[in-house]
Amino acid sequence: MDTLSKKIIEWSNGISQHGKYHYFRKKITPFAFVGPALLLLGIVLLYPLLYSLKISLHQWNMLEQSEPIWIGLGNYLRILGFEEFWSALGLQLSFVVIAVIFELIIGFAVAILFNREFWGSQVARALLLLPIFVLPVVSGMTFRFIFNPQYGAANFFLEKLGLGAIEWLSHPKTAFMAIIIQDIWRMWPFMFIILYAGLSGLPKETFEAAYLDGASKWNTLVHITIPLLKPTILIAIILRTVDALKAFPEIFVMTGGGPGTSTTLLSVHIYKYAFNFWDMGYASAASYILVFIALIFTTFLVKNMYRE
Amino acid sequence: MFGFKEWSVWKKVLFYLVVLAILVVELFPIYMVVSTSLKPKIKIWTSISPFESFKPTLTNYQNILFERSFLDYLKNSGIIAIVTTIISLGLGSLAAYGFARFKFRGSGTLSLGVLVSRMIPPITLSLPIFLLVSRMGLLDTYGALILAHTSFSLPYVIWLLIPFFKGVPGAFEEAAMLDGAGRLRVFISIFLPLVAPGLVVAAIFSFIMSWNDFLYALVLTSSTIKTAPVAVSGFMGQFGPDWGMMTAAGTIILLPVFLLALLLQKYIIQGLTFGGEK
Repeated sequence: MDTLSKKIIEWSNGISQHGKYHYFRKKITPFAFVGPALLLLGIVLLYPLLYSLKISLHQWNMLEQSEPIWIGLGNYLRILGFEEFWSALGLQLSFVVIAVIFELIIGFAVAILFNREFWGSQVARALLLLPIFVLPVVSGMTFRFIFNPQYGAANFFLEKLGLGAIEWLSHPKTAFMAIIIQDIWRMWPFMFIILYAGLSGLPKETFEAAYLDGASKWNTLVHITIPLLKPTILIAIILRTVDALKAFPEIFVMTGGGPGTSTTLLSVHIYKYAFNFWDMGYASAASYILVFIALIFTTFLVKNMYRE
Repeated sequence: MFGFKEWSVWKKVLFYLVVLAILVVELFPIYMVVSTSLKPKIKIWTSISPFESFKPTLTNYQNILFERSFLDYLKNSGIIAIVTTIISLGLGSLAAYGFARFKFRGSGTLSLGVLVSRMIPPITLSLPIFLLVSRMGLLDTYGALILAHTSFSLPYVIWLLIPFFKGVPGAFEEAAMLDGAGRLRVFISIFLPLVAPGLVVAAIFSFIMSWNDFLYALVLTSSTIKTAPVAVSGFMGQFGPDWGMMTAAGTIILLPVFLLALLLQKYIIQGLTFGGEK
């Protein structure tokens, strides 16, 4: 824009900023835009969250009591000594850590493999992304089918390989493995696509220079690619982690948390206490611990992704 | 990267074999769902090899659509997803414009709050929402589920759109304001057309998220407005899993999502990271 029109704008702004009416209008305009959304979020998000915080300070078993009774930090103190809670939390964290590590490794390897011009690369990429969009509930159902001991595909392949059939979902360890395999299958393409985009955005000259200097592929990877890609890797990990903390429908339909409590992640544990045992006070308190964990990761995310 | 063109034929063949193997393994579960849905009932219980040939039949589809009222559940899912998307897009685009184009007291904190709210696990929120909705006697209504869905889709839309609005050069706005256009007119006639790609991505993802939701629908609905994903899990119970019907239902639910995802290729990364990656 030329200087003359800039001057005109400054001048006209000067006029409109005079006078109380315009000043007031200028203050109020932003809220006219963000206000309606914030009001709705206040109703559907903030209010329920505060309500749940209040409930977490009450004893409220809906089967026995019509009204909640104030017990202060009672529910939180109960959590401290409640082994079932800690086991659920441990399972939740192992689930997230194991799944995210495998997803990162597979996603990164495939991103490097795909990082070249080849015939059909676009179609292959589009197809690889489909699992991300598979509804968790459908994914859980599918893997329950695949891991069925009598007619499931998993045992079919195991037997072809000369290995014995496994009752996947009837044993604690293999059931836990199964829900992780399900998550890895569905979500490594998420890591892949973010890292692929990151890789294709790296400056080509750096790699050409390294190649001309005779750097080996491994050295290039370790000393150039990974350091350059570090911010992207970090963002991918955090986004995936926060998302994996939300895992619920797939486990609900795949194992229902069992056998025993072997796949009862914290989210399933909370659901059970809220909607099977109707112990709303305890469930609210436990759900606040889950929020707290998600918030820790979110803080990392904000620091890395959105700093301006 | 460079080098592919200079590779020997064998190296290229090996490369394509690896790519093919990855695709086969990765798409196998989806193949299982679709192929099982086309199998007659007895086949599903007896045939062990997933690749054994069979005569495709639409019996399972007929069963769920016409005998198990799956059509109604699909209609419920559709209505809820569409209304949620309209509300989120309407309010979300206004808010994104507000956050992108004004600096006002608390704007940073508020927009950060919107981001953080995206990270709250749905199990945490579904609990108080259930209590409040049931106290108001609104369980099993469209309104309750739509409001619950805006709790995740509205923050998503706002965060996705902020970078789009920030990308519009300030000169557009100033020129229009000089012509005497009001803020709202500037927003509608200048900004909305310019951020149209963002609006499309936001709409598609918002629709998918609402369509895919399971937990809120499970907690807030029982019969009248049961959604398709909850109905699928229902086929699991009662008489033991009926895989034919379940996979047919699964295929039907997946179809619109896959079509939308394929339409969206160009913007998929922005959509998945809700605007963080540009």
